[in-house]
Amino acid sequence: MGKKRKHSETQAVEPKKKDEGAPERPKRTLMGWKDKEEVQTQTDSNPESPQFFRNKEKVMVTCSRRINYRYRHLMLNLVSLLPHCKKDNKVESRSSKGATLNELIELRGCSSALFFECRKHQDLYMWMARCPNGPSVKFLVNAVHTMEELKLTGNHLKGSRPLLTFSSNFEKDAHWKLLKEMIIQIFGTPKEHRKSKPYHDHVFVFSIVDDHIWFRNYQISVPHNESDKMVRGGLDKMTLVEVGPRFCLNPIKIFAGSFGGPTLYENPFYVSPNQIRALEKRKKAGKYAKKVKAKTRRKMHEQSNPLEPDEFADMWRE
Amino acid sequence: MGMADGSKDRIFAEGEKERTKREATDFHAMGLRSKDLSFLQSEKAVEDNVDDVMGDYSEEEDSESESESDQEDVKLAEPSKTAVYNREGLVEKLEDIGWPENVDWMHKLSLDIDQEKEVDVNDDLARELAFYTQALEGTRAAFDKFQSMGLPFLRPPDYYAEMVKTDAHMQKVKGKLLAQKRQIEESEERRKAREAKRIAKEVQAEKLKERAKQKKQEIEEVKKWRKQRQQSGFKDGKDSMPDLGFEDGKTFQRSSKKRPGVSPGDRSGGKAKQGGGKSNNKNKKNREFRNSKFGFGGRKGMKKQNTAETTNDVLAFNKSNAAGNKKRKR
Repeated sequence: MGKKRKHSETQAVEPKKKDEGAPERPKRTLMGWKDKEEVQTQTDSNPESPQFFRNKEKVMVTCSRRINYRYRHLMLNLVSLLPHCKKDNKVESRSSKGATLNELIELRGCSSALFFECRKHQDLYMWMARCPNGPSVKFLVNAVHTMEELKLTGNHLKGSRPLLTFSSNFEKDAHWKLLKEMIIQIFGTPKEHRKSKPYHDHVFVFSIVDDHIWFRNYQISVPHNESDKMVRGGLDKMTLVEVGPRFCLNPIKIFAGSFGGPTLYENPFYVSPNQIRALEKRKKAGKYAKKVKAKTRRKMHEQSNPLEPDEFADMWRE
Repeated sequence: MGMADGSKDRIFAEGEKERTKREATDFHAMGLRSKDLSFLQSEKAVEDNVDDVMGDYSEEEDSESESESDQEDVKLAEPSKTAVYNREGLVEKLEDIGWPENVDWMHKLSLDIDQEKEVDVNDDLARELAFYTQALEGTRAAFDKFQSMGLPFLRPPDYYAEMVKTDAHMQKVKGKLLAQKRQIEESEERRKAREAKRIAKEVQAEKLKERAKQKKQEIEEVKKWRKQRQQSGFKDGKDSMPDLGFEDGKTFQRSSKKRPGVSPGDRSGGKAKQGGGKSNNKNKKNREFRNSKFGFGGRKGMKKQNTAETTNDVLAFNKSNAAGNKKRKR
């Protein structure tokens, strides 16, 4: 574990901040930069802390058992997109999910987790959580397209740092801001990560449309007719080709703790897919009863309003 | 679940689970018909424990619902009343997990793009366009920042490293794109050929008409000349030979157009080979069919037919061979 330095000055300034500044020697330590107690930084490190800020984010990616093929491929795609992640084995579902997962995360030494939970082989829920005592979010995932689809033709370096673009409505509300921060920390590759590659050739798009977070991944492609230097006039000819998986997240709940804890936010518009299916079935359920009722109603109506006798009824009778 | 969805799928043929607006009348009718109210009330009782969702829902006059093909996403028109929103808690957590403010932008690499206008979720093209423009603007802004910091941004063309998609996969992508292009070109060609054939037919008809007219005219002229001669009593010598155009020196020239497949010395008029050609093809096809059925070990065993490779080939089958393919196991 790294050193914890207590300084009264910084205690007043940032009482609740976790430790972002590494200790004096900027060499790599095993300590995740998040820790349970509040760890203070050095006195004069405030102006200098950006220099010593090391993003030591590690994400653990797992899924539940009985996951669908499409969602498994989505998970594998995400694993290939995030070089700072660790893929773990499938987790037995249900019983004491929170505790087990927290233990697993601690065991692997990760600071965040992406957990894919598939219910009834149909619905995919994604949990985004910060390990020790950070907030966690549960999403319902829709509209999944994996990278293997042949219509997504782009390609980029594996492990290059992505540019994250957010639509401006992430600043509109507190829960969106929290989600944005979590997304930056989870989906952004740390700067000098061992497996990261130089150059930035892809860009993530997170945008809120209709209270859902839509994710897209584009490759930045520029026609290379000049030498390998940066293209000048080519900026206008820059095109984006879609690479990566596509999905749409519907936030359900935000919890204060990791995989549990008091609820901080609940989506008022969320209807669970089970309920939707139940509604559908219920709508179809009364079809026969309605038909019978309609028939009796018609008969009553005919009886109560008898038609006048038809003059021409006997015309063709033999 | 039978919700009408596929029509909206313009970009992806593979069932993209998009949301479409469902007619509200179904739910409206279901909620308000007097005879069914008792039915509904029993529903309500059952659903009471579910956060008043059903209660809210059945009261809805204009339930705006969006459905996907198999994973439907119905949104409540009024927010559920029991939703928790702990703003202070959220802000507190945000401060908890947030990085210090003076962290270099290079660590975050996040860009905020202004969205000018609201995008309709159900309009696929507009939505994707909005995402695309957002990404493009973000990239441009980032490029400027990188330029100002003097750091490399774009990947040089000779940098080879592992990519997220394997080369084999990219080959498949390329194959598919080429196949699409070829299909388009072929359909274009077919259309052009059809047009050309039509025009050629018209031209041919014109020519035939011309020839018939010419022939009739010549016959008429000969008749006239004969009548003339008769009338004038066959007494003229060669003086009043009609001007039939024999003397132009153009009579005995064969048409210079070559007919394909006919040798110049052919005296049958080019029709000698036709019958033979037709029976040859039939015999060859028959022979091939029999060979595949009985030749070199006989009928092939039951082998896998639907593999990844053959699904790509099936589409290129010649339609006229469809009947033959059923019997022949390859």
